[in-house]
Amino acid sequence: MTTGAPASCDVALQAEARKRRATAILIVVGALLLAGLPFVGVPPFTITLLTEALIFAIWAMSLDLMTGYTGMLSFGHAAGFGLGGYAAGYFAREVTADLFASLLVAELVILAVALPIGFVAIRLSGAAFAIFSLCIAQVFFQIAVAWRAVTEGMDGLVGVPLPRLLGVTINVGTAFYLLTVLTAAAICLGLYQLVQSPFGRTLGAIRANEDRAASIGINVRLHKWLVFVISWAIAGIAGTLMVFMKAGTTPMSLYWIESGNVLIMAIFGGLGTLFGPIIGATTFVFLRDVLTTGFEVWQLAFGVVFVAVVLLFPSGLAGIVSHAWTLPWRARS
Amino acid sequence: MFVNILNGVVYGSFLLLTSLGLSLVFGLGRVVNFAHGALYAMGGYALIAVMHAVGAGYWLGLLVAPLLVIPIAIAIERVAIHPIRHRPDVDTLLVTFGLSSMIVGGIEYVWGTGTRLLPPPSPFDAIVYVFGNQYPIYRLAAASVSLLVSASVLLVIQFSPVGLRIRAITDDPGMAEALGVNRKRLLTLVFGCAAGLAALAGALGAPIFAIHPEMGMNILIDSFLVVVLGGLGSLGGSVIGAFFVALTKSIGGGYFAEWSTAFLFLVVAFGLIIRPTGVFGRGRVA
Repeated sequence: MTTGAPASCDVALQAEARKRRATAILIVVGALLLAGLPFVGVPPFTITLLTEALIFAIWAMSLDLMTGYTGMLSFGHAAGFGLGGYAAGYFAREVTADLFASLLVAELVILAVALPIGFVAIRLSGAAFAIFSLCIAQVFFQIAVAWRAVTEGMDGLVGVPLPRLLGVTINVGTAFYLLTVLTAAAICLGLYQLVQSPFGRTLGAIRANEDRAASIGINVRLHKWLVFVISWAIAGIAGTLMVFMKAGTTPMSLYWIESGNVLIMAIFGGLGTLFGPIIGATTFVFLRDVLTTGFEVWQLAFGVVFVAVVLLFPSGLAGIVSHAWTLPWRARS
Repeated sequence: MFVNILNGVVYGSFLLLTSLGLSLVFGLGRVVNFAHGALYAMGGYALIAVMHAVGAGYWLGLLVAPLLVIPIAIAIERVAIHPIRHRPDVDTLLVTFGLSSMIVGGIEYVWGTGTRLLPPPSPFDAIVYVFGNQYPIYRLAAASVSLLVSASVLLVIQFSPVGLRIRAITDDPGMAEALGVNRKRLLTLVFGCAAGLAALAGALGAPIFAIHPEMGMNILIDSFLVVVLGGLGSLGGSVIGAFFVALTKSIGGGYFAEWSTAFLFLVVAFGLIIRPTGVFGRGRVA
C-alpha cells in the first residue's frame, strides 16, 4: 500500500490477507480429504454420487457468481451446462476423446454463443433478466430436440467415449473422481480469488445498486457481460465433465427443470457464499438418490422442497449459520 | 401461407389470454408468475377431470374448469405468495418456479405423462373453407371466444371501478394505497382471475393443442416473450406482443419448421437491443 495509508487500514488489509490465505488452505485441505475418500474404503457407488455432486457443485458455483455475487437471477443456467455437454460430447465422439481438446472445443462454442446472448441479456435486470434467461435455455432445449443431425433429437447424444488425458484413458470411477475433485478445487480457488479481487468487489457494488454503481463510474454492462460469459464458461466445464461421466447427454440437460435444480442447489446452500453451493449440490444429489422412486414423485417432491426452502430459509443453510453468528451482535448493539 | 397467418391469429388469441394474466399480476403485485403455465395445464386437466368424472360434455367442462382452478390459485396466492410480499421481487419468482414444478409433478402423478387428444366438440367439429383453404371451424370459434374474453377483460380494466383501482396501483402503488385501495385483497382477486384466464385458455385450447403435463411450458415461454417484448405490466404491449409473437412464430414456422421458436427468440432479442424496456410499451425493466 501507499506510505500515506493510515495504520488501521494496514491492519484491516493484513487481516483480510490472513483470511484469504486461511480460506485457500481450507479449500486445499478439503480437496485433499475428498481425494482420500476412495482409498479409505468408501464404496464405489458413493464415489459415483460424490463425483456427480462435485460436478453439480462446479455448476452451482458458476450460477452463484452470476446470481449470488452479481445479483443476476438466472432461471436458465442449464443452457451453458447443456451446451458445453453437447459440444464436448459431440467432439469427443466424432474427433478425439482428448479431455483438453474436448474442453477447449466446448469452451469455444460457449464463448461464441454466450458473448452475443450475454450482450443482449445483460441489458435487462431483475425479473426481466430472469424471464429472458429462462427463454434462452428453453430455446436451446428446442434446438437440441429439433437439430437431429447433430443432437439426435430426444434420444440424445449417446456413445461418448471415455476421456483421455495426456494419452491415458480415464476410467469412470476413482480416476474420474480424482479428476473432478481437482477441477472443482481449482475452480473454487479461482472463483474465491475472483470474488475477493477488486473485480469481485465491483460485482458486489452492482448487486447492491446498479444505478449507484454506474454513477460512481463502474461500467455496469461490461461487468455483467463478463460475469455472464465467465459463468457460462464454468458451467460448460461442469457440462463437459458430466457428458464424459454419463457417456452421453439428452435434451433434458437443457430443460427448465435442470435450471431449477441448479438454482435450488445454490439457494439451499446459500447464495453469495462459494461453499454454500457445494453443500447444496451434495445435499441435492444424495437427497435425490434417496427420494427417487419415480420421476413424477421426484418432481413433486422437488417442487415442495423448492417452495419450502424459499419460504422458510430465504438465505439458505449459510444464511442460518451467519444469522446465528450475527444475533449476539444485534442483541448487544 | 394464408393458413399460417390464420393459425397465428388463433394462437395469438390464446397467447393474449395467458399474457394478459401475467401482465396484470405483474403490474399489480410486481409478481412474475412462473406457475402461470402450470395453471394453464391445470385448466386442461380440470376439463378432463370434469368430463370423465361427471360424464359431462365438453361445454360444461369448459365452464367448470376455470371455476375449479380459481380457488386453487387463490389458495396458492394466500399461502405461498402473500407471506413473502415484503421480500425482494425475486423471491416470488423463486416460489412460483417451485410451485410450477409442484403442479406439473402433481399432474403427472395423478394423470400420468401421456398426451391426450380431445376431438373438437359438436356443433364445431366441421371443416370450413376460408378463401379456398380447408380450416377446422373449432379453431375459429375458440379464437373468437378468447378474443371476446380478452376484450371484456380489457373493458373491465378500462371502465369499471375495480379496473380503475387496478390501474391506480399499477401506476403508483404507494399513492393508490394511501387513497384507500386495498392492494392485498385486489392482488388475491386478480391472481385468481388471471389463473382463471389461463385455465380457460388451457381448456379451450385442449381440442387444438392436445393435453400434456408440460403443455403449459411452451405457452409460458411464448407469453414471457410477449410480456418482455411488450413491456412488463403493459396491457397494450401484451395485446400487440401476443399477435406479433404468434404471427412471427406461425409464419416463421412455414420457413423454419421446428426452428420457429429460435427464430422468434432472435427477433425478440434484437428488439430488446433497441428497446430494453419493451418494444411497444413503456414497460418496466426491473
